[in-house]
Amino acid sequence: MRVWSSEHVFGHPWDTVIKAAMRKYPNPMNPSVVGVDVLERSVDSRGRLHSHRLLSTEWGLPGLVRAILGTSRTLTYIREHSIVDPVGKKMELCSTNITLTNWVSVSERLVYTPHPEDPGRTVLTQEAVITVKGISLGSYLESLMANTISSNAKKGGTGSIPGRGIKILRAVLCGEKKKTKQSKREVIFFIIQNIDAKLET
Amino acid sequence: MNSVGEACADMKREYDQCFSRWFAEKFLKADCSGDPCTDLFKRYQQGVQKAIKEKEIPIEGLEFMGHGKEKPE
Repeated sequence: MRVWSSEHVFGHPWDTVIKAAMRKYPNPMNPSVVGVDVLERSVDSRGRLHSHRLLSTEWGLPGLVRAILGTSRTLTYIREHSIVDPVGKKMELCSTNITLTNWVSVSERLVYTPHPEDPGRTVLTQEAVITVKGISLGSYLESLMANTISSNAKKGGTGSIPGRGIKILRAVLCGEKKKTKQSKREVIFFIIQNIDAKLET
Repeated sequence: MNSVGEACADMKREYDQCFSRWFAEKFLKADCSGDPCTDLFKRYQQGVQKAIKEKEIPIEGLEFMGHGKEKPE
C-alpha cells in the first residue's frame, strides 16, 4: 500500500474553482477520461449537494500488450462521490476504480476550501492510496503510480489519477500473459522501460 | 464529454447545461428554490442505466439511483 498527498493553491475564489471543478472534463491535461455520467444527485438535509458519477477512462494499450491480451477492450471505470457545501464552502470528492479491482485499488480524495488567509484563493488538498494486489512487483508498481500521481498534481491538480494509474499498472501486468518465465520477465522489463521513458518526457 | 451510453449523449448534454446553470446561479448562492432539472435527469438516466446494464459495469445499488432532495446523509 502506498499513500501520496499534496496541496495546491488556486489564485481564484472558491466559487470560481468549484464551478470549474464540476466541469473538469473534458480535460486536455488528462485525455484518458472519455466519458462522465451522473448516476445520482441530491441535496441533503444540511443543504449539501451529493453527486455520484461514473467516469469512463480509455488508456490505450500499446500494440505489444494488445497482441498479448488478444483484446482491444481498454475501458476502465471509476466511481466518484462528491459533496458540495455552499454555506461552509467546502467541496469533497472521493473516487475509486470499480474495474481491475482484482489487480489494483486506487482511491483518491480531494478537498477544496477557501484559503484561510485570502478568500481570493482556494486550497486543494489531494491524497491517494494505491494498493497493488497479488504480484511480486507490487512495491515497484506502487512507486511508479505514486510518481505519476505526483506528476499529475504538479499540473495543478487537474488529472484523473486512478485512470492514469491503472493504465500504467495494466501495461506492466500484461507481461504475465506470456507462457515462459524468461519471456515473461523480458516483456515486463520492456514495458517498464517504455513507461519510465514516457514518465520522463 | 461523452456518455457511457452513446444513445443518451443528447439528453446528457441538455441535463448538463441545465445543471451547470442551476449550480452556478442558484445552488452556490445558497438559493433553495426548486431544481428545474429533475425531468431532464430522469430521461437521461433511463439511457445511462440501460447502457450500464448492457456493458455489465459493476455499479452497486443502481436500482436506488435517483435525483431529488431530502436524501439521507
